[in-house]
Amino acid sequence: MNSSYKNNLLGMTLCSLLLLTPCSLPAMGADDCLMCHGDADMVSGSLLIEATTFDTTAHALLGCSTCHQSIGDDHPGGDSELSRATCLDCHDSLGQEYMMTDHANYATCGDCHNPHEVRAMDAMAGYDMNDKCFQCHEAPTMVDLHKEWLPQANLHIAKLPCITCHTGSEGYEIVLNIAAKQDDGFLSRYELPDYQTLQDISGEAGVLSLIDSDGDNFITLKELKRFNRNPEYRDLRLAGTMVPSDVSHDLSTLDNRYDCTFCHVSGPESLQTSFLAIPIRDGGYQRVPVEQGAVLDALYGTPDFYMVGTTRSASMNIIGLIIICGGLMMPLGHGLLRFLTRKNRQH
Amino acid sequence: MSENKKVYLQPTPVRIWHWLNAFGIITLAVSGAQIRFPEYITLLGSYKSVIYLHNTAGFVVAISFTFWFFYYVFVARSMANLYVPKVDDLKTGLLRQIKFYFLTYFLGWENPHHPTPRNKFNPMQKSAYLAIMFVLMPLVSLTGIFMTNVEPLRGVIVMMGGLKILMNFHFLLACCLIAFLPTHMYLTTLGHTPMEHIKTMWTGWEESEEEISDPEKIGTVSTH
Repeated sequence: MNSSYKNNLLGMTLCSLLLLTPCSLPAMGADDCLMCHGDADMVSGSLLIEATTFDTTAHALLGCSTCHQSIGDDHPGGDSELSRATCLDCHDSLGQEYMMTDHANYATCGDCHNPHEVRAMDAMAGYDMNDKCFQCHEAPTMVDLHKEWLPQANLHIAKLPCITCHTGSEGYEIVLNIAAKQDDGFLSRYELPDYQTLQDISGEAGVLSLIDSDGDNFITLKELKRFNRNPEYRDLRLAGTMVPSDVSHDLSTLDNRYDCTFCHVSGPESLQTSFLAIPIRDGGYQRVPVEQGAVLDALYGTPDFYMVGTTRSASMNIIGLIIICGGLMMPLGHGLLRFLTRKNRQH
Repeated sequence: MSENKKVYLQPTPVRIWHWLNAFGIITLAVSGAQIRFPEYITLLGSYKSVIYLHNTAGFVVAISFTFWFFYYVFVARSMANLYVPKVDDLKTGLLRQIKFYFLTYFLGWENPHHPTPRNKFNPMQKSAYLAIMFVLMPLVSLTGIFMTNVEPLRGVIVMMGGLKILMNFHFLLACCLIAFLPTHMYLTTLGHTPMEHIKTMWTGWEESEEEISDPEKIGTVSTH
């Protein structure tokens, strides 16, 4: 689902819900609700809402009373049964798609998506999309299952969202993240840092300025390469993953995802659409468009990124060809002289 | 009448290893090319199958290399004698052999080196095989093993400079081994007949016109 379509849908949903909302409902805003529901001393369990996270969700735009219509002026007294909108009230087509899957027999929407925390796909880093899957499908078990047919199963599961393959979305795009070294140790892992860590590094110019040096909110391949080569950022590097371009809840596996060359191939048709996901202050991510092109070439600048069949180095290919041609010189040169002097050995 | 002798030059384990290695290395070269250039090469089927084939052939060659190493070091106990050039080889032998291959061979002179079971290789062969069997083969096998275990060995890979450097190193080592193949195959045709050395690697026996009196040449039979 592209962002304009999503915004329209959100707008229409919001308008229709507002029109349908009875005039008698109180004018209680989200801030009023969070005075109690954001305070751990006053409420607990599912009633406690992380205000900072909730504010970054699309649901926050709707306000609390849009979904919880039964709340009256006398709340919290007298309304022991709190009404809740169902997910399908708004997300009908996604819900119908989900209901056709096996997952629907085991998990409701709320088991994976907490409505007070859920973020749109483009507000996520990419890797974090698997957090929900791993609640039920433990990573080691999934590695063992995939190992039966998938080469480097552990690498694929560590580096890709499950829904890149288990999706109804034919399209896909690359999401780049800035990864940071976790400590000074030589073998330190690189993880995705939070907003504050990157803010401390970038200073007043802002996190995006680490890569977007001309400040036009658009990342060119040159800017990515410049970031890779900048010695000031030697503890930072780019990390990339593939995500579906459309939101889909059909979790069956697309046939073409079984074909390794769907991803492991080089050329102008593949892996060209990319975004940079920058962490934002309130915990989500903001996507910044990246120039169309072979973005993985920029990732190739990072020392531990290599994707067979995709990120091969042209200069290495030339050196390899020269070596192999060198090996052919001996038989060709010697063979020619051998042929020309063959009479000398006829004894 | 010249006395034709046959020398048992290549014992059975060595011949098995050689042909297993030959088949494995050619498989690795073709499958490796398809893995690197999947949009141009599709000789060996799907990408997944070619990766499995490459990994399997790699493990077979690495294991057969290990057997070869232990056979020569601990069973035949002739590794150092056969593969490490001696002082004489380096001082005069190497030059003599180069002179033969690049000059006197064309004039019709005889090869100055006469292989025996305990001195199979001429000084040039010794130097080339020393580099190939003790440097290129172990390194290409090790880098390959690292690449099939990227997640568990990530720390070691980072220490080596990262996955990209490891992969390029593996690729260039493989190119060096592939470059050796045409030279190797061509040199096998430089016997008295083009098939002589190839037959030796199949049967184990090589024709020799020399009088065999040296006790080290045990295992020879005489034919007339």
